[in-house]
Amino acid sequence: MSVNLQKEIPVRDTNISSNSPMEQFHAKSHFWGRLTIWPVILLSISLPLILSFVLGYHPGWNVVLSGFFAYASIVAVVWVLEPLMYYPILGASGTYIGFLTGNIGNMCLPSAAAAQNAIGAQPGTEKGEITATLAIGAASIVNKVLLIPMILGGAILVANIPEHIQQVFPLILPAIFGGVLAQFAIKKPIYGVIALVIGFIINLTALAVYIKMLLCIVLTIGICLLLEQRNGKAQV
Amino acid sequence: MEEAMKLAGSQIVWGIALLILAVVIFQAIKFILLAKKTSKEIGMTNKEVNSALKTGAIAAIGPSFAIIIVAVSLVPFIGEALTLMRIGIIGSAPIESTGASLSANAYGTELGSAGFTAQAFTAVVWTLCIGGIGWLVFVALATKSMDNIQKKIVNRNEKSKQIMGVITTAAIVAAFGNLASAEMVKGFEYIVAALTASITMIAVTALANKSPRMGWLREWSLGIAILVSLVIGYFTI
Repeated sequence: MSVNLQKEIPVRDTNISSNSPMEQFHAKSHFWGRLTIWPVILLSISLPLILSFVLGYHPGWNVVLSGFFAYASIVAVVWVLEPLMYYPILGASGTYIGFLTGNIGNMCLPSAAAAQNAIGAQPGTEKGEITATLAIGAASIVNKVLLIPMILGGAILVANIPEHIQQVFPLILPAIFGGVLAQFAIKKPIYGVIALVIGFIINLTALAVYIKMLLCIVLTIGICLLLEQRNGKAQV
Repeated sequence: MEEAMKLAGSQIVWGIALLILAVVIFQAIKFILLAKKTSKEIGMTNKEVNSALKTGAIAAIGPSFAIIIVAVSLVPFIGEALTLMRIGIIGSAPIESTGASLSANAYGTELGSAGFTAQAFTAVVWTLCIGGIGWLVFVALATKSMDNIQKKIVNRNEKSKQIMGVITTAAIVAAFGNLASAEMVKGFEYIVAALTASITMIAVTALANKSPRMGWLREWSLGIAILVSLVIGYFTI
């Protein structure tokens, strides 16, 4: 079915021309990504403004600012770091859709990875990026479809799950992360070992959560690059 | 508390929460359509596209359940609408709970206490809404620049392309190595859960590679890994 298409090799060097399918896809991603994110930003700002000044429940700027700064002191670095760290994995389209839907590490990336694995697409290639976008889009919709009724009726449901079964809930996250880690470690077992050793050492320290993530990514990339260079694979 | 919850369930909070959810769902559909169109042009088959969608959807079920459990715990304090709005976009449940309790403290009260008035609720809304758009503002402003920088690096020569490939793979593995380690240092049953999921994943993938008839297993591999890991985990607690 791709016989009549010239650009059938799914690697990035085909997108030098500004009219390649991937170029068009990126241009449309930037357009629709921003067109959807800005209204959400405006809607988010409008809610506290309405509660404060239309309905008259303003708690006072002192309270607003001290609450906000306490929160920002924890997360402000992450606002910039997360999009930068995840960009090489998500690509432009994945970044727009992943950050709007949220839960990137625990849902979007595992879904993208599972889909790439299922159809044998390499992350960082054209096929990999399209696959990730399809998977995160599907994940986002499934997530919302489950989330809405569960939040409305979920409190009752969760309260009715027997306590001995509720005990395993905290284990869902390590199970997701362990499974996805293995999925990648199959292709590059040594990368997995390096990441796990570094991650373990870093997580025994008391550093801030985002510093741990950054350190682990930077150190792992550094060591893997050195390793590949020594193996001569990164040299042409 | 009663007054705060009445405000939390008011039409205006619901209205804005539902509008935001509508935009998020619209965006997901729009991007799926864009990717579908491009997939044909870069030579992906319909089967591959459907498999990608299906796998993404299945893989989201387990994580969604985990998200819902934490989200449900937020509902008694900040109401259904604000929970939906914050967890439905960008938010992650632990960060939202921290933000909510910090701003309640700034107002001089606690979440869920009698002193949690409509004003205290408004203070929480300020922090969660303005705090949550930090990511979105950066993404809206900087993604195009990141795209251009990456293209420049990638287009330079063959060697930098390969280096970019190593960086991408190493970054994903590192991200999940770190996330898994952060859970594993919490105790023995967490280590068992993570390792069981890893081993199950490797076994399922090996089985799927063995014959084309078992290929469908790939779409279910993450779900199977989570389920097996929880069953084993149940007996270690």
